Amino acid sequence: MSNKKCTSCNAPLAEEGATEFGCPACQYHIQRCYRCREQSIPYTCPKCGFGGP
Amino acid sequence: MTENEMEIELKEPLVPVEEYLAAGVHIGTQQKSKDMKKFIYRVRGDGLYILDIRETDERIKTVAKFLSQYEPPKILVVTSRQYGQYPAKKFAESIGGMAVTGRFIPGLLTNQNLPRYIEPEVVVVTDPIGDAQVIKEAVQSGIPIVALCDTNNMTSFVDLVIPTNNKGRKALSMIYYLLTREMLRLRGISTSLTSEDFETEL
Repeated sequence: MSNKKCTSCNAPLAEEGATEFGCPACQYHIQRCYRCREQSIPYTCPKCGFGGP
Repeated sequence: MTENEMEIELKEPLVPVEEYLAAGVHIGTQQKSKDMKKFIYRVRGDGLYILDIRETDERIKTVAKFLSQYEPPKILVVTSRQYGQYPAKKFAESIGGMAVTGRFIPGLLTNQNLPRYIEPEVVVVTDPIGDAQVIKEAVQSGIPIVALCDTNNMTSFVDLVIPTNNKGRKALSMIYYLLTREMLRLRGISTSLTSEDFETEL
């Protein structure tokens, strides 16, 4: 299992449909799991506090 | 345009508030979704929800910065909406990205046997409802999704929202023009393009 964890819920990014991208504001690495993306659960950048989606 | 809308003041806006209002970027729909509630400024007497231009302006800057993290040829712009096709093509052409307008052929991002198979690293969609197929395939491929969302859109699988009117001819051209201008500015390129250059002809 991968060590990567969802920025919103801290769940391991195991399943298909997860994504990773640089924070739009500070380029800090943000990871989102399938469930959080599907339910549009907000994420906050741990470094700069940018809130999405 | 009401007095209320004219009262909005933006900190270092990309274009004056009047231009946003003239393009109708703030005009939403008569439906609102829970996902878009935080971007809604107020509801008009006729039941139309009005988007907060401050959020739109801020998000255009954010998305331009976000897209600048990627190699231009790896950026895919998709639109099935008639009025979005020309602005999307012009945007892709100006920044050096890819554009798929009109019908999105299923498998374009997932079926390697297709002759037109492409592997973008980020996808920009004009309407999450009309462009549901590309969202489905981007999710399967683990690609981040940026979407222009109106007040009636759900933001499922969208990683970054630009709250805007995604139905109007002038609104779409204004958004794509501003995105182009901002991205080129971040690359240190000045442009003589105007929002009229992005408008679909009637």
